[in-house]
Amino acid sequence: MDEVTLEIDGKEVKAKEGTTILEAARSVGIDIPTLCYHKALTPYGGCRLCIVEIFRGRRSRIVTSCVYPVEEGLVVKTQSDAVVKDRRVLIELMLARAPKAKVIQDLANQYGVKKTRFKTEDPENLCILCGLCARVCEERIGVSAINFVGRGVERKVQTPFQGTLDVDFDVCIACGACAHICPTGAIKLEDITPKKPVPILSEFEMGLESRAPIYIPFPQAIPNVATLDRDKCVHFATGKCRICEEFCEANAIDFEQEDEIVEVEVGTIIVATGYDQFDPSVIPQYGYKKYDNVLTGLEFERITCAGGPTQGRIQLKDGRQPESVAIVHCVGSRDQNYHEYCSRVCCMYGLKYAHLIREFTKAEVYEFYIDMRCFGEAYEEFYKRCSEEGVNFIRGKVGKITDQAMSEEERGKLVVVAEDTLLGRMVRVPVDMVILCAALQNRSDAADVASRFTMSQRADGFFLETHPKLAPVNTPTDGVFIAGCCAGPKDIPDTVAQASAAASKALSLISKGTVTTEAAISHVDETICHGCGRCEEICTFHAPTVISKNGSLVSSVNEALCKGCGACAVVCPTGAISIWHFSQQQIDSLLDGLLEVQHG
Amino acid sequence: MPRLNSPAELEEFRQEILSKRDANRPCITICSGTGCHAYGSEKVNAAFEAEIEKRRLEAEVDIRRTGCHGFCERGTLVVIYPEEICYVGVQPEDAAEVVQSVKENKIVDRLLYVDPATGKKVIHESEIPFYKYQNRIVFGNNRRIDPRSIDDYVALGGYSALSKALSQMSPEQVMEEVKRSGLRGRGGGGFPTGWKWQTTRDAPGEPKYVIVNCDEGDPGAYMDRSLMEGNPHSVLEGLTVGAYAIGSHEGFVYVRQEYPLAVDNLTTAIEQAEKYGFLGENILGSGFDFRVKVHRGAGAFISGESSALMTAIEGKVGEPRPKYIHTAEKGIWDRPSCLNNVETWANVPLIINNGAGWYASIGTEGSKGTKIFSLVGKVNNTGLVEVPMGIPLRDIVYKIGGGIPGGKRFKAVQTGGPSGGCIPEQFLDSRVDFDELARLGSMMGSGGMIVMDEDTCMVDTARYFLDFLADESCGKCTPCREGIKQMLGILTDICKGRGREGDIELLEELAEVLRDTSLCALGATAPNPVLTTIRYFRDEYEAHIKEKRCPAYVCKELVSYYIDPTKCQACMICLRNCPAGAISGGKNKIHVIDQSKCTKCGSCFDLCPPRFDAVEKISGEPVPPPLPEDERVLVRGKE
Repeated sequence: MDEVTLEIDGKEVKAKEGTTILEAARSVGIDIPTLCYHKALTPYGGCRLCIVEIFRGRRSRIVTSCVYPVEEGLVVKTQSDAVVKDRRVLIELMLARAPKAKVIQDLANQYGVKKTRFKTEDPENLCILCGLCARVCEERIGVSAINFVGRGVERKVQTPFQGTLDVDFDVCIACGACAHICPTGAIKLEDITPKKPVPILSEFEMGLESRAPIYIPFPQAIPNVATLDRDKCVHFATGKCRICEEFCEANAIDFEQEDEIVEVEVGTIIVATGYDQFDPSVIPQYGYKKYDNVLTGLEFERITCAGGPTQGRIQLKDGRQPESVAIVHCVGSRDQNYHEYCSRVCCMYGLKYAHLIREFTKAEVYEFYIDMRCFGEAYEEFYKRCSEEGVNFIRGKVGKITDQAMSEEERGKLVVVAEDTLLGRMVRVPVDMVILCAALQNRSDAADVASRFTMSQRADGFFLETHPKLAPVNTPTDGVFIAGCCAGPKDIPDTVAQASAAASKALSLISKGTVTTEAAISHVDETICHGCGRCEEICTFHAPTVISKNGSLVSSVNEALCKGCGACAVVCPTGAISIWHFSQQQIDSLLDGLLEVQHG
Repeated sequence: MPRLNSPAELEEFRQEILSKRDANRPCITICSGTGCHAYGSEKVNAAFEAEIEKRRLEAEVDIRRTGCHGFCERGTLVVIYPEEICYVGVQPEDAAEVVQSVKENKIVDRLLYVDPATGKKVIHESEIPFYKYQNRIVFGNNRRIDPRSIDDYVALGGYSALSKALSQMSPEQVMEEVKRSGLRGRGGGGFPTGWKWQTTRDAPGEPKYVIVNCDEGDPGAYMDRSLMEGNPHSVLEGLTVGAYAIGSHEGFVYVRQEYPLAVDNLTTAIEQAEKYGFLGENILGSGFDFRVKVHRGAGAFISGESSALMTAIEGKVGEPRPKYIHTAEKGIWDRPSCLNNVETWANVPLIINNGAGWYASIGTEGSKGTKIFSLVGKVNNTGLVEVPMGIPLRDIVYKIGGGIPGGKRFKAVQTGGPSGGCIPEQFLDSRVDFDELARLGSMMGSGGMIVMDEDTCMVDTARYFLDFLADESCGKCTPCREGIKQMLGILTDICKGRGREGDIELLEELAEVLRDTSLCALGATAPNPVLTTIRYFRDEYEAHIKEKRCPAYVCKELVSYYIDPTKCQACMICLRNCPAGAISGGKNKIHVIDQSKCTKCGSCFDLCPPRFDAVEKISGEPVPPPLPEDERVLVRGKE
């Protein structure tokens, strides 16, 4: 498209043909006030605030810059006397219409309009009829749930037949775009639909904050780029919207993008699939998800994070700071009803939280524990320090958490009911917040992963190493190693140590470049093999595969995978598969030799 | 009737129709236009038909229901051809007498028009002053054809312009002819028609559309309606010629919902034209295709604005859109679209038939041809008048309109519809054309002309038009929606005696902003009635604001009614008729108006016998205190 040159406020501006004066001015940082303009919507030319004066020769004219296309040699003044004079009256008219609209008040201040000379009909009215709401709903959301009704002075924004018919015309999807785009706050979603907007909860913030359908998963995400949630994006729901495209200067938005499966050929694999957090709501007496201020350790972690939903401020759901906090250990761990093992990390992070809470809020902290397991370097010292900071340690498992007050001081609080096994009596501790140190458990897809890599799972579901002492990162499959919490709960130092071990194991294979196969492995006599595939089905190690060779199907054995177990040879109906060093002839000879010795 | 496939076949067909018609055979034409329809022309027509049937005169006397004749003041109009004897105010009961007179070749004296100036009866239509000073080149055929008969139109030379354009002229030549004729848009803007056509022709994009704007909505104006109802083929012919010049094959006629007869007659006309081959494929064997669709409006004044009309045709709410790129280039669905008003299109066949030179010889330097005005208000002869451009305003009001009724003084004439302006007496000798009216602060508009006499309050007039516009503004842009509302508020305050110093200046300031910043012409011209009345009648505004006085005694809040005790004859007429029961008194007891009860309806003023003339209107000064109760006894024969 051709470029034209024009002059705006004395500045030479180059703009593409077909762009408007407003766009050209804004591209060089000249601001023209607008109300009904939005980059993502078709220009409307309704508010008239963006008027400018254009000069051609001696003649000048007032035009609306949001719709006036640029022309070669055009001279534009955005703040000429005539423009400012007209604009002031327009602001006065809008001020009379919506005297309490902040955006109009600000404009009035900016243009020195102290008060309006015109009459106000409704001092509470905020709507300036800019039409952004109706246009975004029609053009971008694609549902047209609201629009203008009435003409001229009767004009207003409404849903179809509002309040006059008994028919449900509510096509609104409660996306909230209208309320979001409204410059004066006149649009309230509850006036439009009884439907409630459903916030999209941020997975990374543990649902404590909402996110947009297009988002960067978390600040340190790799790669650090935005992703589009197809299930929530309006474009995938209505086929419209695409507002993000208008704003992405890099033109990076691609609605056609599909998930892709990348196949990489590698020599070794380290499985480090991590853990799942135990869901405390399966212990109903703890009240998780029932009471607002019963949190899991990970949720509290987000609250203490400076980049988290509360910018690091420790607070209750209603924004107050807690005056007392209980930290409940062993939720789902060391419990024969759930997991009998110890999750190993809870004692220490429980202490960390206690320390942070004492430091930032001065709230009373109660730690309910079975044993304090502070086993690492300087851990015991940290436990002592917390004791000195005034953290209350109560030895005993928590029985229930309730909001049923039994005394005045419990009113409005969460009451932690536990047995203090040191004192040998029941205690009721009223607190504002409860943090549940939920167990670490194997991932829900662990069984699938295990079978994929031919690994074993322990009774508790974590992946089993080949040998706890001699081969702690190995798996039954050569070249596949495990590291981190997928092999059992562990803290960060242990995880790093194990991961390093797995990495070095992998590297030792990589640096060698070759693997030494077992001597006794299976091999196929291709002249006999029919390619029936029974060997492929029986092999746990995925060594044989049926391939097409010279037009016929035959089995082919990956010698690096074969363990020489012989299962394939047993099922082979034709006897095509045999194990090296265990051929019929060799066995016969062996037997002959043995018999000869005996007979001899 | 088979399709006509060539100009020769058309001529042959025309001769065939004419050969069947005897020019000397009597024909009774009955006006069936909207005005006469309201007077009951249906019944008159039925009476005539029954009478002819009764007398078995079908073979001797023709009867024809025609379009509007224009002299709506005196409907129902009946004209007897070939003599052109004109009867006014005809009732169904008159049918027998008129038919009898036709048969006997006589004249029914009592139904003739009486010239109020001379008191003489006028026999022939053309001699009636209302018609005599007109030049009815566009509108004239209305009274001679049945709008539902294409044969009538063809008999009068109809579709010869189309035939000529298609067979003898290139599109460029047609365009050139229209340009040279100097025809300007009759819808209000006065844009040179030929140049508009050229823009659409040159604009990139297919298909191109041509549109007839028949969304006439100005209060009191009905020229387009009468033309569309009375002679739809003339509009269709003009449109088709225009489409040929522009290179368009699809046309729309946008008719407002309130014009059912126009829709009906137009739809019939399109069907007939398609059947005869004046519309459709390969028109008159020329290879040119053109189709027309009728689009009915939904009753919004703003839809008469070109971009709003096009938005409405697209099926959206009729609201104007920015026109920095003209609709001639990007109109309906962003395609080049040439829109002209009904009257503009109806002028086109005349130009093609008679040549640009002939057309340009009528009118003034900048405005060629004739213009149809709807002459209404305080004038003796209301109706539709077609006059050459440049005729003095005085001739329209006095010669054609017959002056002001009741011997009142002329005050102003409002031209151009609600967005036009008021022209005072001192400019009565101005020549009516596009440029002169604009110079006077008004405009041609679509041709509304409202005459006002001395009893009209100019502030109230401005308020009336602003009230109309506030109702009809679409509300899309701030200055029009909010500005008109505020101007109306200020004017209402002035009329109610709540005007303040500075109001006039504020109105002027607001007017300027509306003119500069409104999205479409409705908002930009809305201040015209206010600005022209301020310009020519500022003293009336000042009287309202400073003295709380309405010089025309119109603004109720500023007027009081008072019974002059020295004149009151205690006749009880006003007392009995006062709807508010505000007048006390009795027989031989001088009547007194209780000002607190008076609703200022004016009944007492209107009903007080002129020989007493006891009721007075007072404005701007206090009402004298009522006579004490004991002094109210009327002593007759005192003097």
